[in-house]
Parts: sequence; structure tokens; C-alpha cells
Amino acid sequence: MTARERNSVRLFAGVDRVAVILYVVLTLVGFASIFSASWNETSDSPLSLSHNYMKQAMWLGISWVAALVILLLDSSVWHKFSYFIYGFGILALLSTLAIGTTVNGAKAWISLGGFRIQPMEFAKIAIALATARMMSEYSFSLDKPKDLLRLGALLLLPLGIAVLQNDLGSGLVLGSFLFMLYREGLNNWLCVPVLFIAMLFILSFVFTPVTLLVALIVVFTLSAVMMMRESWQLAIKYVATLFAVSIMLHLLLNLVVESGTSYYVSLLTTTILSLVAVIVYAFRKSLRALYIIVLLFFVSIMILPTSDLMFNKVLKEHQQKRIQSFLGLVSDPRADYNVNQSKIAIGSGGVFGKGYLQGSQIRYGFVPERHTDFIFCTIGEEFGFVGSLALLLLLAAFILRLMRMGDRQQETFGRVYCYCIASILLFHVLINIGMTIGLMPVMGIPLPFISYGGSSLFAFTIMVFIAFSLDASTRRELPTYRYI
Amino acid sequence: MKEYGYNRWRSIIPRLLVFGIFGILILRVAYLQLIDGRYDSLANDNYLRYVVKYPPRGEVFDRNGEYLVQSKICYDLMAVWRDLPKGGIDTLRLLEITALSPKRLEKALADARMSPRQGRLIAKYLSAEEKLQLDELNITGLYTVPRTVRQYPRKIGGNLLGSVGEITADMLQRSSDYYAIGDYIGIDGIESAYEEELRGEKGLVLHDIYARDESSDEIINHPKPGKSIVCTIDARLQAFAEELMRGKVGAVVAIEPTTGEILVMASSPTFDPDELVGRERGNNYMRNLNNPRQPLFNRSVKSKYPPGSTFKLVNGLIGLQEGVLKPQYRYSCHNGYDYGKIHVGCHEHSSPLNLDYAIATSCNAYFCYVFRNILENKEYESIKDAYDVWCDYVDSFGFGRKLESDFLGEGRGYVPDRAFYDKRYHKSWNALTTLSLSIGQGELGCTPLQLANLAATIANRGYYYIPHIVRSIEGQDSLDARFYRKNYTKVEPQHFETIVQGMWRGVNVDGTCQGAKLEGWDVCGKTGTAQNPRGEDHSTFVSFAPRNNPRIAIAVYVEHGGFGASMAVPIATLVEEMYLTDTITRPWLVDYVKQKQINYYNAYDRKRKK
Repeated sequence: MTARERNSVRLFAGVDRVAVILYVVLTLVGFASIFSASWNETSDSPLSLSHNYMKQAMWLGISWVAALVILLLDSSVWHKFSYFIYGFGILALLSTLAIGTTVNGAKAWISLGGFRIQPMEFAKIAIALATARMMSEYSFSLDKPKDLLRLGALLLLPLGIAVLQNDLGSGLVLGSFLFMLYREGLNNWLCVPVLFIAMLFILSFVFTPVTLLVALIVVFTLSAVMMMRESWQLAIKYVATLFAVSIMLHLLLNLVVESGTSYYVSLLTTTILSLVAVIVYAFRKSLRALYIIVLLFFVSIMILPTSDLMFNKVLKEHQQKRIQSFLGLVSDPRADYNVNQSKIAIGSGGVFGKGYLQGSQIRYGFVPERHTDFIFCTIGEEFGFVGSLALLLLLAAFILRLMRMGDRQQETFGRVYCYCIASILLFHVLINIGMTIGLMPVMGIPLPFISYGGSSLFAFTIMVFIAFSLDASTRRELPTYRYI
Repeated sequence: MKEYGYNRWRSIIPRLLVFGIFGILILRVAYLQLIDGRYDSLANDNYLRYVVKYPPRGEVFDRNGEYLVQSKICYDLMAVWRDLPKGGIDTLRLLEITALSPKRLEKALADARMSPRQGRLIAKYLSAEEKLQLDELNITGLYTVPRTVRQYPRKIGGNLLGSVGEITADMLQRSSDYYAIGDYIGIDGIESAYEEELRGEKGLVLHDIYARDESSDEIINHPKPGKSIVCTIDARLQAFAEELMRGKVGAVVAIEPTTGEILVMASSPTFDPDELVGRERGNNYMRNLNNPRQPLFNRSVKSKYPPGSTFKLVNGLIGLQEGVLKPQYRYSCHNGYDYGKIHVGCHEHSSPLNLDYAIATSCNAYFCYVFRNILENKEYESIKDAYDVWCDYVDSFGFGRKLESDFLGEGRGYVPDRAFYDKRYHKSWNALTTLSLSIGQGELGCTPLQLANLAATIANRGYYYIPHIVRSIEGQDSLDARFYRKNYTKVEPQHFETIVQGMWRGVNVDGTCQGAKLEGWDVCGKTGTAQNPRGEDHSTFVSFAPRNNPRIAIAVYVEHGGFGASMAVPIATLVEEMYLTDTITRPWLVDYVKQKQINYYNAYDRKRKK
């Protein structure tokens, strides 16, 4: 074997061929869809770079070259330079606040000579690398509050910048890291509250505060009662006392003082007072879970009045409308229009679709953003259920492949990184496709490898090829690995 | 210490979550694409349109084959916002050609912008020249769509012909399923009466709105052009009658007695039917609507005029039939009829007089006697029963009811019935109470069409054909059977000759209407001078000619025209002469009629209630 042969072999040595093939197929499907969505038969110069599909072809070439470059690099650079890259990513995010361009209300873009780049796309790589680096530290443990706080700071910094950019959708991607954290052994008691608070936040738009408050009290009481399972008499006593005292308080307030307050006020007061007893009980019996329930109750009570405030302050009007429209609270014709047209395009595809370049809804431009965020409509309409199913299965296979890569990593760094990008991809796919079929509110989040957008394709390519590279170096070190 | 990555569930649950998420996505896509069937048609609705193809409306000819109503081509200017030049368009030139106001154009363009891919209406009713000018501008995204509108070459008979306009919401509710918003429908006159024949059948085409040519259109129904109609009107006569009536308020109706065909139906004031076509339709319509003389009101069929002395013909005929009057009966008249406090005035004439002279000279007193004879007939139990009989006779002449002609909106006129007088006089009334009826005054009201029909009935000696406006319809062998049926009055034919003799005498010997005399044509006629509370008497005249084998029966009614002889007679005789001889031998009479000034009273200045 000559040195030259060894080098060319070394480039692909240990690389997961299935994953690379999946990647190539996905990007080609993406290109074909963008071509369909932006092809204009009346154009005089079909090869002009002014066409979206030609731009995408160029970026596809650049991405593939970048992929080769990443495979050429020693995978250890990612571990070494992860914090440096993170710092660079944060700087890039901050720079948008100063020199950014505003697109669709989000000041999250930087214009570079005719191309627009969204630094968040690249910052995701940096965040994933930094997270992996931090969690791969020898002494790092998800059970240590200090480590959790450090990790939280690492994630909240870019999230905060995203909120400032008014690009909440991208920021929410970081929420998907919960998926990775669960894999890494995050305590159930931390997963549940986070999900609980997220749910409460959404429900607070749907229900009135009083309804939610009552529901909260009931949930809390039941949880507390569950915790007291050692002594069911005590549980009954607790609930009975709670109601008796609250009713008496109510009578006292209304009959004696004639204050005219609602019963819920008495109930809430009594419940909060009873917390003291519950905490004492939890301390005596050393029931850690009960602490968390009490804490969660307090946080929830605090969130209730602030959720409206956050909704109004943090979210821009069009975002509020989208969410309200999605929840069916108000009718926003524009948000509804996008989703309706998208559903019509996909639904009219039927089993086998209308044929490539034959989709009337795409051709005639009824679906807005049909080559970017709503690219799935093109596939749904032109290739029907068969095509949609194939694409979804490809994406699922790709994500599962990344998770498998993570699982077979020898290093925590590689595992965490692979799961990080699997979470990011899963979030993107869920939100993007869910949005086109009316399952999710409309957020400006692209479909990885498929949606039009050079920086997005480029960033996702780098992101997954870092994982491929890490995976390849692991596999090369395995004793069972056979050189091709 | 817990070792990361080795907990079995910690690696299984994320995979289950991935399966779960993709499972939900796949199920949802499957539901949309495989189960929910709505989206196919919704997608089609997005770009396929059912385009209605309007048929050309049928044309209307007069009895001599002259065009009364034609269809002419006009163009609607449409714009597709997406295709308009990016640099803007020469709106100044566009405004100049389309005669739109800048505001209207702005609004139309804003409309087009709202649906940028669809052709939106910018301007209606462009002429061929304007279309060519637009073609010269050669603006992409602007195109014209041909359409037909009505054209009235003779510019006569506005009320008679009616007009075509966009259907109103109100009409839409009442009409059949055929119509849709934006459709055109005949309004008034022949256009309305023969709407179903004239309109044809709409065609339907399934059209891809983004396809530039129509080659991809799927034709569902071909449009069927409307049938053309030959109407009974004599255009030349109608124009002449309208010309004579200019400046007067009233109506001229002429009927061919042997067929019931309406030769002339001129209501005055009238309007140019062409005014109600095209861009100015709305403005002109409102102008006519607000005109205090109400040109849009078709007086020839809708008004309720007191018939005046012309009604003596009917009373005379009833008297003869009832046997309470014989031609040789003579009554005396000394400047009127007196009974107790009642006085019905009359003019000077020789006395006593018999029936034919009473008709010729229009003696009021004579017919007061006749009317009393009818009502105080001992054959009937009471005067009121006799009155019922009188009403039956009057009804058989077509008064107080619709004649069931093919003309929509025909009025009934008014003949008071027994209940009316019972109510008004608290059941105590007799022949003297209702004596005004004897000379066609009082509560009586009739349309000029009914009066013309009376003339035709007498000309036919006892029967009439229902007057109608249409002679033949393209593709139909005959009209409705009712137009071929002889409608006999309750007066037997032999009694008519005496009345005809009186009418002939009135014109040709020594009557009130000697002005109607046409040498060699044996014109018969009866004048009427109807008193009314608003001003000078209405002038009316019914006539037919010639006496034997009559060819034309005519009724002229001129509001506030004075004596029957002063206005109505000259108009009638000129129309008759025109019809019978095709010439006018008395140009001075034409001048007289045209220059006759009539003072109209404040009745016409009443403001319309808004």
C-alpha cells in the first residue's frame, strides 16, 4: 500500500457509510424539491445564479467540499477548540445585534456580499461542542447543582441573545437539549418540572388563571397525598383539614368581615399555609420528592401571573398571533392561510402525488415560503404519501443513526455531541414538518438538508460531519475495525 | 457513582421518543393524504374556476323587421397585478382612455393587488376604439374581455323596451336558480317580460386561471344564444307618437283590433333607452328616478286615469244589452242633469237627443239617465244587485283588472265594487250617489291600454284579443294560446252598431271630435275630458278606423290637456293617418300639437320620498 493509497483510504476510513449515503440522499432530495419549488419554465437563462436552485447547487458543492475537509481534519481538534469555537459563536451572535439584518421580524442575519448568513445556524455547532466538552469533564455530574448551573449558563447565554434577536424559534432549539440530557442521566425530577412548567406556560393562554390555579392546587394536593402513601389516614386528614380550614376561612372572611373575597383566595391561602406543615413532614421523613413538588408549586404560582407578561413582552405581535391562532384562541387569517394552503398542498398529493414539477399548488405559488420553511409541501404534493413517508423514514433513519453513533462512542464528548445534534435535528424536523401539517405553531425553522438556504445547509453539513468524523476515529481505534 | 451511558432505559427511551414523534408525523401525513378527502377539491378551487360564458342576448325587431334592440360588443378591461410592468404603468393615458376617475382607478388597482394572480375588473363598457387604443399601449397584464351590451338604434320606447342591468340582491332572492351575482337581467318592458327567451342559456367552462390561453379549458356547457323577438310595435309609428307626446305627460296606445297586437305604446315623458347602457347607466337611472315627472313610470300600462266621457260608450252598451236603453230613446238636456241637489253639467247642444247624437256630442245628462236606468232596473231586487251586474259588464270589457297581456307590471286600473260603496256610504247609496260613474268620473281609474282595448272591442263589435307586445319568437311556431282567443264582452254584438254609429257621427258629422276626421277612412271616435282635482282637465280620446274592417284602435291620454278635442284628438288622428296612409297631410296640425303648451301643476314638483 503506497502512501498515497493510504491517504485516500484514510480519508474515508471508519466513516459510517450508511450515514453518509443518507446525508447525500437527503441533500439531493432537498435540491430536487427546491428546484421544483423555484423552477420557472419561462426563464431565459435557466443556469443563471439568480435562481434559487442554482444558488442551492453552489452551496451543495461548497458543503460537500467542507464535509471532505472536516473528514481530513483530526477529530481531536473539535475537543480542543470547542470553547474557542463557542466563544467565536457567541461573538457572531452578538454581532447580529449590532450589524444584523432583519428578516421576517428577526434581527438574526448578517449580510455578506449578497448572501445572508444566520449565525445561529453555526452557533448551534459551537453550543453542541461546548456542551459536549463541559459534560465530558472528568468531575462533571448532572447530579451536582453547581455543574447544572454551569451547563445552564452555557445554554442560556445564546438563548438570551436569540431572544434579544427576536429569533425565539432558533432559541427554542436549545430546549431540545433536554432530550440529550435525559440520555445523559438527568434526574427525572428535573425533567418533569421543566416539562411541567412548559406545559403550564402553554395552558395559561388557554385557560383562565382561576381555572389553572384550582387545577394547580388539586395537582399539588394529589401529589402531596401520593407522597404520604405510607400513611393514608394522614393523607385524608391533610385533605380534610385543608378543605375545612379553607371553608372556615372563607366564612370568616365573608360573614364576619364581609370582604366579598372569592373562595379561591381562602383555598390558596390555606394551601400555601399548609406547605409549612408539608415541608416539616418532608424533612422528618426525608422525602426529597416532596421538596421538589413544593418548589414546583411555588414556581407555578409565580409563573401564572407572569406568563401573560412574558407572552406580551418577549413575543412579538406576529408570534403571539401565530401561537394564539395555533391554540385556536384567535383567528389570524395570515397564519391560518399559510397553514391551510400548506395542508391543501400536502393533502391534495394523495397516495402517489401529482408527479415531479406537476404540483399545481407549488407551481402556482399558493404555498408561501414553499422553498424554505414549507418545502415539505413540495414533496407532499408532488410525491404524495409515498414520497412523504420515504422522506420521513430517511430523516428518522438519519437521526437514529446519529444516536447509534453516539451510543458507540468511547468518549463522553463524542456521545454528548452526537446526541446534541440528534436533538437539534429531531427538533427541527418535528417543528418544521409539524408546522406544515398543522400540528405545530408556525415558527421560522428550516427542515435540515431540505429547505432552501445556503448557510443552513452548510451549517448542518459541518454539524453532522463533525459527528461522522468523531465516529470514524472511534471506529478506527476499535480492534474489530477492518480497513477497506 | 452512576456511570453514564450504561443505563439501558436511558438509551431506549430516546429511541422510543424518536419513533413516537415520527409515528405521529407519519400518521398525520397519512390522514391528510389518504383519509381526508377535502384537500383535492380545495386544491382545485385554488386554481380552477368555473367560468360562466354569457350568451349574446336575443335581439328585438319591430313588426316591419326594423331593429329595436341590438346587441353590440363592448370590452371590459381586466388587470393581472402580477404581470403588470414593475416600473408602474402610464396611468395618465389609461385614465384618458377609460375615462375613469383617478380614485376609481386607484381602487380598482388596489383590488387587483389583493389577488395578484387573477384578472380583476378595472373598467367596464369600453368601446372598440378605446380597446384599440389600449392595445396600442401594449401593457402586459392588462387585457380586455369582450361582452355584449344593448343598443337601441331607434332610441325610442324606453319604458316599452326596458333595459338590461346587473341583477340586484332583491331580484336574486326572488328569481330562479339560473341567476348569480353579477349576472345581467332584463329590467322592465320587453326585456323583462321576455327575459327567458332573450337571455339564452349560460355556458360553463372549467378554466385554469393560470393558463394564458383557453386551450386547456374544459367546456361543460356551450352557451346558447338568446332568441330574437319580433314585437308588434311599429317603430316608425312609435317614434312619431313619442315625438307628438314630447313635452306632454300621458300615453298613446294603439292596437290592431283584428289581432290584439299593440302597434304603439308610448308613455310620456320617456327616455332614451341608450342612456341606461354603459358606464353612465347608474347616473342616468338616478337622474330619471329623481325627475319629478317620472319618466321611468310607464303610464300606458300602469297609471289609473279617470276615463271621462270615453266611458259613456261602455254605459251605453250596457244599457242597450240590459234593454233599458233603446237607440231611439230621447232624453232632454238643458245644460246638464238635475235631480234634487244633484247637478251634472253639460255643454250646449240641441235637446232632446237620441243615443247616437248623445255619443257624438258627449251629452252628460243623457248618460245620467242611462246609468239610472241600468241601476234602477226593476228586474233586480235592489240597486246594489243591479250595480253588481253593471260591474260584471265593466269587468268583461277588461276594466278594473289586468288584461293579462304579456307586458309585466300591467296595472289594474280601478272599478269600485259594491263593498267599496257600502263602506264609504255606510250601505246607504243609490244610483244618484254613484252618478259620476255614468260619465267616467268618480272613483273610476283605467290604464290607457284598457282604453285602447275598449276601442278595439268596439271596433270588433263585441270582442277583443288580449293586447300583446310580441308577434313571434325565434324558434316558436306560436305565442301563448290566450292571445288567439276572442274575448267576448257580455254585450251582444248587435248592440255595438248603434254605438259605432255615434262614434262615427262624432267624428264625421256633428260631434266633439270632428278634428279626427280623415277623408275616406271613416274614423270613429269618442272624446273624453276628465275632471281632476289637480288642475286642468285631462284630455283623452279613443278611436278606431276605418269603421268597417278596422285596422287601428287607439287611445290617447294627455294629462291636463284640456278638452278631449284640444290635445288627444289631434295626436290620435295624426297617428292614425300615419298608420293608415303613411303620410302626413296636415303638417300644421303636427306643429300645433308640438307647440301646444301645457301648464303642469305642482303635483309634479312633489319630492320623492327618500
